[in-house]
Amino acid sequence: MTGERILVVEDNEKNMKLFRDVLGATGYRTLEATNGGEAVAMATEHTPDLVLMDIQMPDIDGVEALRRLRADARTASLRVLAVTAQAMQGDREHFLAEGFDGYLSKPVNVLELLSTVRQYVDGGAG
Amino acid sequence: MSPGDYRLVRAVGRLPARVHTKLLIAFVGTAVLLVAVGALGLRVLAQSDDRVSDLGPLQQRAAAYGKLQSDIATVRLLLPENLPQDDDFFTVWPGAVPIPLKGDARVAVDQAVANQVKRIAPATSSDRLGFVPPSADENVLGEIREESLRLSSLMDDLIRDPNDFRRAQAMALAADLNQLASELTNTTTAKASGLIAENARAYASSRSLYVGVAVGAIGLALLLGFVLSWSVVGPIQRIDPRLAAIAGGDFSGHVDVENRDELGALAANVNRTNDELRRLYTELEAASRHKSEFLASMSHELRTPLNAIIGFSQVLREGMFGPVNEKQSEYLDDIVSSGNHLLSLINDVLDLSKVEAGQVELEVGPFSLRQALERGVVMVREQATEEGVQVGLTAEPEVDVVDGDERRIKQVIFNLLSNAVKFTPAGGEVDVSAIRVNGEVRVSVADTGPGIAPEDHERVFEEFQQTDAGLEQREGTGLGLALSKRLVELHGGRIWLESELGKGSTFVFTLPAERVPS
Repeated sequence: MTGERILVVEDNEKNMKLFRDVLGATGYRTLEATNGGEAVAMATEHTPDLVLMDIQMPDIDGVEALRRLRADARTASLRVLAVTAQAMQGDREHFLAEGFDGYLSKPVNVLELLSTVRQYVDGGAG
Repeated sequence: MSPGDYRLVRAVGRLPARVHTKLLIAFVGTAVLLVAVGALGLRVLAQSDDRVSDLGPLQQRAAAYGKLQSDIATVRLLLPENLPQDDDFFTVWPGAVPIPLKGDARVAVDQAVANQVKRIAPATSSDRLGFVPPSADENVLGEIREESLRLSSLMDDLIRDPNDFRRAQAMALAADLNQLASELTNTTTAKASGLIAENARAYASSRSLYVGVAVGAIGLALLLGFVLSWSVVGPIQRIDPRLAAIAGGDFSGHVDVENRDELGALAANVNRTNDELRRLYTELEAASRHKSEFLASMSHELRTPLNAIIGFSQVLREGMFGPVNEKQSEYLDDIVSSGNHLLSLINDVLDLSKVEAGQVELEVGPFSLRQALERGVVMVREQATEEGVQVGLTAEPEVDVVDGDERRIKQVIFNLLSNAVKFTPAGGEVDVSAIRVNGEVRVSVADTGPGIAPEDHERVFEEFQQTDAGLEQREGTGLGLALSKRLVELHGGRIWLESELGKGSTFVFTLPAERVPS
């Protein structure tokens, strides 16, 4: 609870509100982006401690945004979790193979979300 | 190049007639050729026979004339007996006076000659000859007859008058006679020889003609057979691999058959079938792809609002933004559990759709069934303990390792176990057992719940067909057993229910177990 910065990438307004409020109430500072392009720009500018990345977004999707982050030396080592409603069989394996550090399926369990975030931010897991 | 590709073969194939007609023409053609060869053979035989029958009388005549000549020759040989000179004397000295011979001997010889000469004329008659001579022969025979009569009367004179010096004239007559008979014989013999030679030539040429025609006919028949059979076999040979390819799911090609007969129609139909199948296959692929995309989208679109529903409810219930009262907390719990119910419904519907669309591919491998069962028991134990239900597991050691999709089998086990726990009243038991029977592994989940009436046994495996007990529970999606049934059947196993009302239920499923327990 030392005000780590978490970049939330989410195109759905209500879900953004949920993540913002939950993380804020827990003591994190949130940065917000509603599409992949914004996400890359903000990540490059602020180098957040963790990125929660939605996948399906207008413009640049989460996978492409991750690719760009990984391609840039300044953002290559950012920890990025996929937080997505794409939760069919094989999706988890697919996104981990794409290079995400972790995977949470929507609907997320808020408690699980917080414990996962804590794990990645504190322990530097992934 | 196959014989089916020859130009002639293809040209016959292009003839606009039915195969039946073509075959008929070929067979009739062959038969006609055979008849022609046979007829020609008969004609050759008949000609040969004619020539042989011409030859017979000719040889008969030659023999008769030979006999005549021989008689005349005897006269000619006997006549000079009365002369000191030989034949050549009168040839060299015609008209020379012969020297008369002595008495009785001369008369006896002349008498013998006269007798012989008398026999010549009658011998030239057709009665004696045994046939009617041709007119040319008849002329010669007439001369012989006349001269023999003259010689006969001359001989009579000579016998009467020993000094008659016309003996030379008799000699000349005899020589003439001999000459005539000899000509007749020689001519006839020559004719016979000529006829024999002609026969030989005619035979040789007939034979050549016959052999030529026969060889030609056989060649033509073979050609007919070859061309016709290949005009049929060729298209079949081209159609066959295309059909095999179609059967193998390859709709990329067309078969090229130019025949304007049944085979051409067949090939055209094969091509149409190919095109139609390709069209359907493409449509089916598109539909299947569309369905997959639709399912993925639906899953995504349903989960997105659920995230907010469940998330905000959880946030409130956890009191992150201030305390909620007991009633509010209860409602929030209801919202969260209903949200989760909706989520499992989405998951089950998707699973079921995928299984029914044939899109579920089992990841089959050896796994420990015993461990899977243990995991299942652990997963329901908390709920079971809460509800006062005992859960027991007995698995034979030899059912340890089986082949199957571990995740899917676990899904089935969990579904059966959670159903059993859910429907078993407090104080009841749920028993899981696994045994190996007749080469298959049989897993049973028995409970001491209310049981299910026999008429409902099939129905519980249908979608959204819950029993009254199930409806009262208001839990579960109504899809769990339907999905379990499909998953077990995908593995080649069976699933069924043994139950009576009031006597608990036992759900049993089998898996083919080819693996030897290790």
